[in-house]
Amino acid sequence: MSTVEVLERVGCDVDFDERQTCCGQPAFNTGYRREASDFAKRFIEIFEDAETIVSPSGSCTAMVKHFHELFPGDEEWRHRAESVAAKTHDLCGFLVNLLKVDDLGAAFSGRVTWHDACHGLRDLCLRDEPRQLLRNVKGLEFVEMTNADVCCGFGGTFSVKYPEISAGILDNKIEAIEKANVTTVVSGDSSCLMQIGGRLSRIGSKVKTMHIAEILASRET
Amino acid sequence: MHHLTSDNFDQNAREALRDPVLHGALRNLADNFVERRRIAMSSVDDWEGLRTRARAIKDETLAHLDEYLLQFVENAEKGGVKFHWARDGAEACRIVLELVKASGAEMVVKSKSMATEEIHLNDALEAAGIEPIETDLGEWIIQLAHEIPSHIVVPAIHKTKGQIADLFVEKVGIEKTGDVDVLTGTARRILRQKFAEAKVGISGVNFGVAETGTILILENEGNIRMTTGLPQKHIAVMGIEKVVPRFTDLDVFLKLLPRSGTGQRLTAYQSLITGVKKRPDDEGPDEIHVVLLDNGRSKMLSHPVTRQSLACIRCGACLNACPVYQQVGGHAYGSVYPGPIGAVITPQLMGLSKAKQLPYASSLCGACREVCPVKIDIPELLLHLRAEIADNNASNVKRKFSERLAFKLYGSMWSRAGRYNFGTKAARVMQKLVVRKGKIGKVSGFIAKLVPPLGAWTAWRDAPPIAPKTFRQQWREKLRSGNGN
Amino acid sequence: METKANISNSSAAREPIIASIRQSLAASKASDRVHAEHRPIVEYYSPSSNAARSILSHDELVGNFCANLDLLGVRFAIVRNEDEARDYLRKLIAASDIKRIAVSDSEIVSDVAAPINDVEVISSASKETLFDCELGLTSAQWGIAETGTLVLESDAERHRLTSLVPPIHLCLLKAEQIRQTLGEILELIDPRQNRTITFITGASRTSDIELTLAIGVHGPRELHVLVLAD
Repeated sequence: MSTVEVLERVGCDVDFDERQTCCGQPAFNTGYRREASDFAKRFIEIFEDAETIVSPSGSCTAMVKHFHELFPGDEEWRHRAESVAAKTHDLCGFLVNLLKVDDLGAAFSGRVTWHDACHGLRDLCLRDEPRQLLRNVKGLEFVEMTNADVCCGFGGTFSVKYPEISAGILDNKIEAIEKANVTTVVSGDSSCLMQIGGRLSRIGSKVKTMHIAEILASRET
Repeated sequence: MHHLTSDNFDQNAREALRDPVLHGALRNLADNFVERRRIAMSSVDDWEGLRTRARAIKDETLAHLDEYLLQFVENAEKGGVKFHWARDGAEACRIVLELVKASGAEMVVKSKSMATEEIHLNDALEAAGIEPIETDLGEWIIQLAHEIPSHIVVPAIHKTKGQIADLFVEKVGIEKTGDVDVLTGTARRILRQKFAEAKVGISGVNFGVAETGTILILENEGNIRMTTGLPQKHIAVMGIEKVVPRFTDLDVFLKLLPRSGTGQRLTAYQSLITGVKKRPDDEGPDEIHVVLLDNGRSKMLSHPVTRQSLACIRCGACLNACPVYQQVGGHAYGSVYPGPIGAVITPQLMGLSKAKQLPYASSLCGACREVCPVKIDIPELLLHLRAEIADNNASNVKRKFSERLAFKLYGSMWSRAGRYNFGTKAARVMQKLVVRKGKIGKVSGFIAKLVPPLGAWTAWRDAPPIAPKTFRQQWREKLRSGNGN
Repeated sequence: METKANISNSSAAREPIIASIRQSLAASKASDRVHAEHRPIVEYYSPSSNAARSILSHDELVGNFCANLDLLGVRFAIVRNEDEARDYLRKLIAASDIKRIAVSDSEIVSDVAAPINDVEVISSASKETLFDCELGLTSAQWGIAETGTLVLESDAERHRLTSLVPPIHLCLLKAEQIRQTLGEILELIDPRQNRTITFITGASRTSDIELTLAIGVHGPRELHVLVLAD
C-alpha cells in the first residue's frame, strides 16, 4: 500500500488490476520457459493497455524487461512484450527519472542504509536514484555501508537449492550491516528484505528491514 | 590424479564452507581484487569503450571463425609453424605425445595453459612415461600437491603460505620457512635446472593474430619465455577461439587482460612469436608446433547466447567478483574452469548431464557480467543452460519430478487471480502450523520433508508470515472508502 | 625414430573442424537475428593509434618513461654517452660481485663492453654458458613511456636469451626510440620481420603465494635500464 500512497502523493492516478498474479520470474530463472511464457502472456494481456506500469519490485520490473526472450519464434508476442516493457518501471526509477521527483516530503527518524538489490542495480541501472530519494527524507541519517552493491545471497530458488552458500553470502551482508551501525536496512526488493530480515531476526538483531516505499510513505507524526 | 567432480557440486560446496583456511584465502582474494581493479580501471581513459571494442572484435572473429582461423594458420605457416588439428582432448593429447616422442624427450617443461589442463595433458604424458614439469609457480605447487587449479589465473590461491611451505618441505626437502621470497627462490632454483635440460617446451596461447600469424603469450614470471625460447621444440596448445583478426587488435586486449586479471597495466613479459627462427644459429626453437583444439568449441557457435562463451580471454575477473566463488572456491566446481565462466563452459565442454548443477550454482547477481572485459552476459548464459536442463530430461529424475510438479502447480495456481487468492487464503491457514511469535522459525521434521524449501530456508533464516491483510484486501477497502487518505 | 606419417595425419581433423564451425554458424543465423534486436551490434574496427599519437616532447617522453620505470622498481639512469654507461656497468659489477657477463651483438653494447676486461665478457653465449652468467647486457629497440616497457626485436639483435637467463639484466635504450603508447609501438613493429618480439615491463615476478608479490622468479630478478640521451 505504501507504493500506492507514494504514487498518489506525487499526483498519479493509481489503479490496481486484480486479475494480475505473477510475472513468472521463478519459472524463468529455474529454466521452465514454457510456464514462464504463460505468465508473461497473461501479464502482457492484462497490462498492455495501461499508460504506465509501476512496480515496487526491481526484480519483477527486470523480468518484464526480459519477457521478449520468451518468444524467440513469435514476432507478434515479442513486440507486444517490448511495448509493455517500455512502459514498466521500478518505483524509484519512475519517481526520479520519469517524474523528476526526488523529494516526497517524507519524514522518518533513523540511521538508515541502502542495500542495492541486484536486478535494480545491474538490470535497471538504478544506483543514485534510491539514494537521492532517501537523502531527502527529513530526519533520516543516511549511511553508505561497505559492499552495499554485493548480492545478499537470495537469488530466488538458489536460496533453497544451495542454502548453505546463500547463508554464507548473507553473513557477509549482515557483517556489513552491523558495521554500519544502523537502525534500518532499506531496499527495493522484498526478496532481499526477506533474506536479510530473516537472518537479522534469527540472530536477534534489533535492525529492521523496510521497503523504500514504506520509508517514502512515512510522514511526520 | 583424482579430484572432486561437478556432479557433486552441492556436497563439494558444503565441505568447502566448513574449511576456515579456504575461507580466509578466498576472503583475501576478494578484498584484494576490489582494490586492484579500482586502481587498474582508473589508469585507462575509457574503460567502458574499451570493453565494447573488445567484444566487437570477438564478435567479428567468432562470426567468421573459419575464415580467421584459416588465415591465421596460413600466415603462421609462412613463418614455418606447423599446425595440428584436434577434434577433442584425447586427439590433442595423442598429437602432443607423438611430437614429444619424436624429440626423444623423457621430460618436458610446461608453462601455464588452461587448455592443457582441460585436456588433462599431464596425465596423458605421465601414462606414457614422460615427465611433465609445470614451471609456473602456482601450477608447480598444485602439481606437487596432485591437485587441479582452483583459479584460472592464480591456481594455488586456495593454499596458504604455510600449506605451501609444508608441501615444499615434504616434496622438495627444504627447511620450513614463512618467507615467500625463499619459497619462490626454491622454485626458481629447481625449475631452472629443468629449463636448461629440456628438449621440449609446451605452452598455451593467449591470442593468435590472423593477419600476421603471430602468437601472443603473456606472463609475469618468465617461465613462458624460457619454455618457448630454450628447448629445441615448442608445442603450443591453442583453443580455436583464440584468434583475433588484426595485429593492432592486440592493443585492446593488452589493455584489458592484465588489468582485469591481476590489476597490472602490463604483465612483466609479452612474447609475440611469428614463426620459427630464420637462421639455424639464431636463438629459439628449431620447430614450433601449434595444436588447435576444438573439444566442443565449434558447437558453442551455434547459438548467439552460447557463442559469447568463446569470447572469454581467461582473465579470472568473474571468479574474483563472484559471491558464490568467494564462498566455495574453485575445487567445488569439479572442473579446471571454475567460477562464473566455469559454470557456463564446463557443462558445454563436458556435456550438460555431467555438470547439470553448475548452471544453478548462482544467485544471478550479475557481478560477473559487470567485470567481464569482453562483456559476456553470464547470467543470460546461465539462464539459457537452465532452460536446456529443465526442458530436456537430464538425469536425477527424482528431484526433477518433484521440482517439475512444484512448478506446474505454481503455474496453474497462479494463473488465475481466483486460484491465487485461494492459495493465499489456504497458506494463511496452513502457516498456523509453523508461525510462532509472529514469525516462522526453524522448521524441521515432517513439515520440512513435506515442504523442503521451508526447511532449507529456515535452517538459517526466519520467514515472515503472510500478512494478516493482503494488498488486495487493503486495496478493496480503499476503493470502498472512496479514496480516503 | 620420427613417426612422420602419424604427425602429418594430424591435419586430418582440419576439414571436420572447419565444417563444424561453418555448420554451427549457419545453424545460428535465425537466432542471431532475433538476439540482435536487443543487442545493438557494434561495428568491428581495428583500433589505430592515430588519434593518440604522442605530441609529447622528447623530454616528456623520457620523463614519463623513467617515472614508470621507477614505479616498477626498475633501476635506471639517464646517460649522455658510452663512458657514462660504462661507469654504471662498472659500479653494478662491483656492487653485485659479478664475474661473467653475457653480451648481445648490438653495436652500442659492444662499444660499451669492449674496454671491460676485469670480468669475463662473453658474446654469442651458448645456452649452457648463459646459465653461468650473472649479468646479461643488451639494448632494446623501442621503449613505451606509458608503462616503462622495453621492446626487443629478435632479428635486430641477438638478445632473446641474454635478456632472460642471467639474473641481472642491464638494458641500453636510445631516448629517441621511446614512444608514449603501446598502440604506437604496435604500428611501428613488424612481426613478419621479427620472428620474436618481446615486451619487458619490470623484473620477473609472481603473486601466486597468497597474492604476496615476490620479485625474481624465472626471468631476471633485477632490471637496470640506461637511457641514452644525447
